[in-house]
Amino acid sequence: MIALDAETLGRTLPGDPPITLVANASFELERGAFTTIVGPSGCGKSSLLYLLGLIDRPSTGTLRVEGLDTAGLSADRRAQLRLERFGFVFQFHFLLPEFTALENVLMPIRRLARLDSAAADTRARDLLASVGMADKVTKTPDKLSGGERQRVAIARALANDPAVVLGDEPTGNLDSQNSARVVAMFQALAHEQNRAVVCVTHDQAIAAAADVRITMLDGRVTEIDRSGPIGRPRSM
Amino acid sequence: MSRGRTGLLAGIAIKHLVRRQRQTVVAVLGVAVGVGFFLAVSAMMIGSQRDFIDRLIDAAPHIIISDELRSPPPQPGTSAYPEGAVVLRGYKTRSEARGLRDWPAILAAAQSPAGAIASPSLTGGITLRLSGRQEALAIIGIEPAIEDRISTISDRLRSGHLADLESTQGGLVIGEELATRLGIGMGDVVAARSPSGATRSLQIVGLLKRGQAGLSDQSGFMLLREAQSLLGRPFIINRIGVRLTDPYQAEAIASGLEQRFGYKAESWQARSADFLSLLVTRNVIMYSVVSAILLVASFGIYTAVSNSVTDKRRDIAILGAIGFSRGDLQLIFVIEGLILALAGVLLGWLIGYGLMAILGSLRFPIAGDNQHLPLDRSARQYLIAAGVSTLAGGVAAWLPARKAAGVEPVDILRGAA
Repeated sequence: MIALDAETLGRTLPGDPPITLVANASFELERGAFTTIVGPSGCGKSSLLYLLGLIDRPSTGTLRVEGLDTAGLSADRRAQLRLERFGFVFQFHFLLPEFTALENVLMPIRRLARLDSAAADTRARDLLASVGMADKVTKTPDKLSGGERQRVAIARALANDPAVVLGDEPTGNLDSQNSARVVAMFQALAHEQNRAVVCVTHDQAIAAAADVRITMLDGRVTEIDRSGPIGRPRSM
Repeated sequence: MSRGRTGLLAGIAIKHLVRRQRQTVVAVLGVAVGVGFFLAVSAMMIGSQRDFIDRLIDAAPHIIISDELRSPPPQPGTSAYPEGAVVLRGYKTRSEARGLRDWPAILAAAQSPAGAIASPSLTGGITLRLSGRQEALAIIGIEPAIEDRISTISDRLRSGHLADLESTQGGLVIGEELATRLGIGMGDVVAARSPSGATRSLQIVGLLKRGQAGLSDQSGFMLLREAQSLLGRPFIINRIGVRLTDPYQAEAIASGLEQRFGYKAESWQARSADFLSLLVTRNVIMYSVVSAILLVASFGIYTAVSNSVTDKRRDIAILGAIGFSRGDLQLIFVIEGLILALAGVLLGWLIGYGLMAILGSLRFPIAGDNQHLPLDRSARQYLIAAGVSTLAGGVAAWLPARKAAGVEPVDILRGAA
């Protein structure tokens, strides 16, 4: 099932001269696949990810999310779509510092308001348990290690059972052991939970684990390699 | 807007405020001090104004009907030909004895509104003589029992009773200042002489406190009958004082009486128009100053919320990225401002209440009496202070909160990566 369908997607910052961040990107991403976007610094990887996550609006081209054309959507409608269908994991954990791990995970669930508070609480605790954080739900981010924070961020990304999980250098600040753990989680999200998982990364280890590798250079997609191990059993 | 969403956003707002304790405390104190002083100042201003108006209303009858005419009476010739161009020259007016003619009818009419009391009186000038000294005195002949019900004379007596006028032959009440000048006191006898030459011995049965509005120290009270006899005007009265249950009806009733009988009937409002217009000016000044206090207090909220938005740009971007709408983000900071305003209002109520308690316990020596400050402690002032502060706080928060809605998550994320 096609989760994201990009067609000649482009993003140019207005200015003199205008700066092209992403040009003419076209591809389809399916649920159940783990995709990485790789390329040198400044090649437009993150910009492409923001376009795919409806955080930024494309200057050209179209993006369909599960068949829905996002071109004419209002800011509120796009926010609602992000809340319901997307989960984000950033390089810096980006948890809210005043709130506990549990409250951070509850934030999108309560905003969507489809579960009553008891059910929301149960769901948030289950998600934290699934990333191995069951015993640290009441800790605020400053009491957690880098790896733990990133796992809380993953639990938050999954809060509303999204179709698409987007990671922006999610292992960028982690040591190799934590990094491997996060990669395994991302793979599991794609393969076992049938989500479309897209990760921007510099890390060759992650790129090697991907089912689809999108390579970029100077804002352009130069290669889409679909030779990865789709359906490969979890190795870690 | 669902309750859950507001609760969630309020939860975030509260965390922000708790995190930034110092700014929160400063902003809340700013509003609280503003509200407290607003309450204290307006309690004094309104209290003193009410006290002043009460004194103004009570100082003299609500309506005074006197034997004056506002315009000369129309001549028979002109009233016989109302349509005609009548010019009269060289006519002589008949000299009339002054006084209210047909006064029992006027008295009855003045008493017709429910609860109204009308007191007839005769005023005139006499001279008091004591061992070669002379003092002019405007005497007011009254029926003590009735006059007591329409005026506050009894409260203004330093010593003696108004009823003593009835029981004492030739009883007289004068101001204590005049008594001091003449060197006489309670029970002393003084000689009085009327313009027509009649003389009488009068006995002091009461002394009025000094410094009373509407009563000069050259005024005195006598029994109506004795005043009529001393002034040589039996059965005549020239003044009717009326007290109403609702003093604010005075203006309308006075003009009705004046139209009906032709004599000048003056309400307390008309007599005090200059004071009342002064009060309007005073109110304008008071409300501009105290509103300024409340508005300046809300600047603290503006600063606090503005700093909060700047500090929390990253968190705003995160919330925006994970699906909070611009409206949500703006509301978080408006709620912050409203919480600051409400906390300030509650604390300000306490401060205001405390200030009023302190002011209320003070006593000031005024004209020899220790008096409390007149304070208005009505709930209305508390509500006005709360309303204005909340509104000002809401606006003060809304202005910087718009910046929160303007944060583009992508700009922050790009900068952070």
